[in-house]
Amino acid sequence: MEPLNLTNKDQLTGKLRSLYESLGYTRFSMRRFEEYALYLENKSFLKSDSVLAFSNPDGMLMALKPDVTLSIAKHARPERDALEKVYYKESVYRLAPTAREFVEIEQMGVEALGAIDGYTIAEIIRLAIETLRAVGKDYVLDISHMGFASGLLEAAGLDAGQQEALLPFIRQRNAHELAKEIARQHVPADYAQRIAQLAGLSGTFPETLARASALVVSPGMEQVLAELRALYELLDTLGLAGCLQLDFSMLNDQSYYNGVVFQGYVAGAPRVVLSGGRYDLLMRRFGKQGDAIGFALYLDELTYMLAEPSQWDADVLALYRAEDDVAALNAAVFELAAQGLRVFATSNPPRDFRAPTTMAFDGRTFREVT
Amino acid sequence: MLSIALPKGRLGDKVYKLFADHGYPCAAMEQDDRRLVLRDEASGVQYLLVKPSDVAIYVEHGAADVGVVGKDVLLEGGNDVYELLDLGFGACNMCVAARVGFRENFSAPLRVATKYPNIAKQYYANNSREIEIIKLNGSIELAPILGLSDVIVDIVETGATLKQNHLEVTHTILPISARLIANKASMRFQAAAIQPLLTALTTQPMEGKNS
Repeated sequence: MEPLNLTNKDQLTGKLRSLYESLGYTRFSMRRFEEYALYLENKSFLKSDSVLAFSNPDGMLMALKPDVTLSIAKHARPERDALEKVYYKESVYRLAPTAREFVEIEQMGVEALGAIDGYTIAEIIRLAIETLRAVGKDYVLDISHMGFASGLLEAAGLDAGQQEALLPFIRQRNAHELAKEIARQHVPADYAQRIAQLAGLSGTFPETLARASALVVSPGMEQVLAELRALYELLDTLGLAGCLQLDFSMLNDQSYYNGVVFQGYVAGAPRVVLSGGRYDLLMRRFGKQGDAIGFALYLDELTYMLAEPSQWDADVLALYRAEDDVAALNAAVFELAAQGLRVFATSNPPRDFRAPTTMAFDGRTFREVT
Repeated sequence: MLSIALPKGRLGDKVYKLFADHGYPCAAMEQDDRRLVLRDEASGVQYLLVKPSDVAIYVEHGAADVGVVGKDVLLEGGNDVYELLDLGFGACNMCVAARVGFRENFSAPLRVATKYPNIAKQYYANNSREIEIIKLNGSIELAPILGLSDVIVDIVETGATLKQNHLEVTHTILPISARLIANKASMRFQAAAIQPLLTALTTQPMEGKNS
């Protein structure tokens, strides 16, 4: 796919839709709402934990969907050897990040569910890269693996509560407070040193992999690094490794995600615009045998990037007089528009209307006035 | 050009001096200038002078790449940013304080006056204590004296103000100091500018200058 000179959101979503469809992903459409219990039981999977709930005529508590992946996983086929590839473009309802108010957000995403193999993982990650490329020409895809940090924390003998206490500081890359928290949790000295380094363990792939290998304490962690190295080499062979960074400070929720996780950034947008990963554990929660991997693109984060900054209201302000013949006028206006110009025809232009060209109707055709 | 948000006032002046001593001077900052955006082409930085409680907002939204903010403001705002360094200045504690000799009545919710409702809620939630928050914007010490609240949650530097108002610290919630924070996207796209700043700040000041 060639880099796009993007002018608006519709063009982007159209482009992505054909990209996903060209690889056999089918559109998943869902209802606007699900049972509230689905979101209540899986609160920590959601990006924000506020859900817009209401009761239906039978008195059942329902919610306007804050997320699509949960519904897709819930409706996935239960058997291990099935393979479903779906994409969606849906509205989700969440609290606005800046105000205590619910907003409707457009989200687009891709999921592969069932028999996930090495090829499928690479396909999804390549799709994530192509998605970012469609958004902007300067982009980064951060990759991590849930098994690395958790392997280290488990080897150190930390229980779930102790791990929860350390994770926020790793996510914030907050090395100074991570060190204090490690001391507070009485982490054995040889592990303390290693865990303390997780907060800063990010950067270019080969260099970060090398630093990470010094922290390995179990065969499981070794395997994680081998998996990441293989993924990097694969994407490098495909010429797609330029945008990749390895970031072990990125940790998704451990009760849903396992394996590879990733996040995308695009220059010009201040926050994460794409997020995804392997979520076999969510599938298990719904009693599905298969595995799953996918990602979502947060179209709301792109709104200000994609907005078309136009200083003109139209290309041509086409002026006529009230007494002009409507048939001739109509033909002339449509002829101008057919040339690909945005024409605003009026006998009485609105105040502050701005167009680079003003034309007047001479009874037969429009002529430029200066 | 690296955008650095600094809190206006005493802390900002101190932080600027630290940055200038480590290779990021800006001539316009040295003059008593009323401008809020000050650039220095040679150092490749642009300083934004903003209200201390707004620093993290500028950084979270990418209007500044990095910023310096008190840990109290950062915790209260809960902003989604990286916290990269503890600069050590402005060291003080977030504390619970009450009238000298105050005895807590556990049969009723505790009335807590504070400028930091989120920090207070979090602290008492962790201790499973039911509270009633009274959000104030200043002169917090007055609240227990007038019986408006049982305790206050506030930052305590030397304790002198507490003492003069016959209050004392009953619990220390956590230590506070100035932190260097960074926007998440800037850490990807401006890493070439942010990394040297981090390195400079964690090493000694440049030769021939005093910190």
